[in-house]
Amino acid sequence: MTRAEAPETRQSAGSVRWARRREVLAEVLRNPLTVVGFVIIGAFLLMALFAPLLTEPNQPDPYQSPRDWANIDSPPGEAGHVLGTDSQGGDVLYGVIWGSRLSLQLSLTVVLTTVVIGIIVGSFAAMRGGRLDNLLMRIVDVFLAIPELIFALAIAAVLGPSFRNIILALAAVFWVKYARIIRGEIIRIKQAEYVAAARVVGDSTWNIFRKDVLPNSVTPIVVQATLDMGNVVLIGATLSFIGLAQAGLTEWGAMVSAGQSGLLAGEWWVSTFAGLAIVLWALAFNLVGDGLRDVLDPKTEGR
Amino acid sequence: MQVRDYLIRRLILLPFIMLGVSVIVFTLTRFTGSPVGIYATPNMTPDEVAALEARYLLDQPIPVQYAAWLGGLLRGDLGWSGVSVAPVTEVIGDKITATLELAIAAGLIAIMAGVALGTIAGVRRNRGPDHAARLFSILGASTPTFWFGLLLLVPFYLWLDWFPLGRSTTEIFAGIDHPTGLYTIDAILAGSPEALWDAVRHLILPAVVLGFGAMAIIVRMMRSSMVEAMSEEYVDAARAKGLPERVVIRRHARRNAFVPTTTVIGLSFGFLLQGSVAVELIFRWPGLGQWVTSAILSGDQATIMAYVLITAAIFMVVNLAVDIAYAYLDRRVVLGG
Repeated sequence: MTRAEAPETRQSAGSVRWARRREVLAEVLRNPLTVVGFVIIGAFLLMALFAPLLTEPNQPDPYQSPRDWANIDSPPGEAGHVLGTDSQGGDVLYGVIWGSRLSLQLSLTVVLTTVVIGIIVGSFAAMRGGRLDNLLMRIVDVFLAIPELIFALAIAAVLGPSFRNIILALAAVFWVKYARIIRGEIIRIKQAEYVAAARVVGDSTWNIFRKDVLPNSVTPIVVQATLDMGNVVLIGATLSFIGLAQAGLTEWGAMVSAGQSGLLAGEWWVSTFAGLAIVLWALAFNLVGDGLRDVLDPKTEGR
Repeated sequence: MQVRDYLIRRLILLPFIMLGVSVIVFTLTRFTGSPVGIYATPNMTPDEVAALEARYLLDQPIPVQYAAWLGGLLRGDLGWSGVSVAPVTEVIGDKITATLELAIAAGLIAIMAGVALGTIAGVRRNRGPDHAARLFSILGASTPTFWFGLLLLVPFYLWLDWFPLGRSTTEIFAGIDHPTGLYTIDAILAGSPEALWDAVRHLILPAVVLGFGAMAIIVRMMRSSMVEAMSEEYVDAARAKGLPERVVIRRHARRNAFVPTTTVIGLSFGFLLQGSVAVELIFRWPGLGQWVTSAILSGDQATIMAYVLITAAIFMVVNLAVDIAYAYLDRRVVLGG
C-alpha cells in the first residue's frame, strides 16, 4: 500500500463504521425496554423545549414556581392546579415542567464537560505513557477512592448552596471514570493491527489518534455517558434534597424536600409527582444505557 | 500479574491514596477561607480573634496548616465537631458503627435479592421473567433513595406504625452493653430478644430502601455470569447425570456464577455509603450521613473533612477485602493494575 491510497481506505473504513452503527441501532431498538426509555427521553425533551408554551413563564425568574397564595396545599385537580400546589402555593405541574429544563441543563453540562475532560486526560495519559501516565492515574485513583455523591457533596457544601454549584461539584467528580475508560481503550487499541499498520504507513501520532484510536474507543464512552445522564440528575436531586440548592427552585429534588412535611400530613402530591419525574428521567436513561451496553459491549458488565 | 503481588501493591498504595484524599479534603475546605468562625464568638475583639488564629496556626501558609492538620490526624486528632459539640474522634465511632450496621443490612438484602433475581433472569434469558427482573432492578437504581424512603414512611410509619424512626428505643437499650456497636449483634450478645426485635424493627425499613438501590448492579453481574455458567460443560454434565434442573441451577450453575458477582459487591458498597446520606436523614438514623448533612447546613468543616476521610477509608478497605475474597474464591483469577 502506498501513501496516496491511504485516504480512500480510511473513507471506506468510515462508511463501514456508519453501516455498523445503523446495524447497532436496529439491534438496540429490538429490545422493548430500550424503546420505552427512548420514548420517555423524547417526552422529557419536548417538555423542556416547549416549557414556555405549556405553562406561562414566571417573572422575573421562570425557575421559581408562581405563587398562588389563595390556594396553598390544594390537592390535584382543584382551583385550576392539575397536580396541586405546595405549602407556598407553588404549582406542582409548573415545577415538574420547568424542572425538566434544569435536569437537562444539569445532565448535559456535566456529561459533556466531563466527557471532554476525561478524553483529554485519558488520552494524554495513554498516548504519552511513562511518568505522566503514572501521575495522572494515581490522581484518578485518589478521586475513585471517594464515592461520587460524597465527593460532590463535600465540594458543593464548600462552594455554598446553589444549583450552579451542584453542577460544578458534579463536573469536578464525574470526569474520572471517562479518563479511566478512554485510557484503557486506547492502550488496548494501540496494540491492534490497524494502528500498527497506520504506523508502518508513517502516519503521525495525532492522525492515528484522531482517525483510528478515538473513533474505536467511543463505544464504552457512549454507554457510560448515557447512564450518567440519569445518574447525574439522581445525584444532583439528592444534593438539592439535602438543601444544597436555593430555596423554592423548580428542581425536582428540592421539590420533594419542600413537600416532605406535607407528605406526613397527608398532602402526598408535591413530593410524589416531583419524585416520579426523577424516577422516570433516571429510568429512561438507565434503560437506554443498559440496552446500548448489551448490544455494544456485552463483555464489560457493570464495570 | 500474580494475585498476591497485585494485592500487596494495592495494600502499599492504600496509605498513599489516603494521603491524596487528605490533601484534596484539606484544600477543599480551606477554599472558603479561614475556619476561625467555628472557634470565634461574636463578642470577641479583633485581637482575641487574631490570638485564636495564631493558636490554630490559621495565620500560617496553607502547607504549614496542612502539615499541622495531618500531624493531628496521625495522632488521632480530627478536630472539633461543631454539630456534636465534642471532639470528632469522640463521637465518630458511634456514627461509623451505625452507618456500617445499616449498610451491611442493606448489602445483605441487596445480595440476596440480587442473586435471586439475577439467577432467574440468566436462566430465562430474553423471556418474560428476564425482562421483569431487569426492569425491577433498573427501577431500583433509578429511584432516589430519599423519595422511596419518604413514600414507605407514609404507610409503614404513619398509618400502620409498624416501624419506628431512629435506631433503637432508649428504654429497651438502656441496660444493653455495646461491645460491637452494632445494635443487632449487641442485643444477641446480651441475650435479649426484646432488644433484638427492637433493633431489627428500626433497621428494616431504611435497610430495604438502601438495598433496593444497590441491587441493580448485582442483578446485572449475576445475570451475565449465570448466562455464561448455563452454557458451561459442567452444566451439561450435571444434566447428563440425570439431575433435576433445579439442582443443576442451584448447586452447579448458581454456585459458580456467584464467584464473579463478588467483584461488584465492593462497588455496590460505594453505593450503600452514598445512599446512606439521604436514607439516614429520612429515617433519623444517627450515622455518618445524618451527621454530615447537619454539618453541611451549619458549615462545620472538621466534621465534613472527617466524614469524607473516613468514608473513603471504609470504601477502600471494603474493596480490598472484596478483592482478596474474590482471589480466594477463584484461584484462577489474574488481576491487572
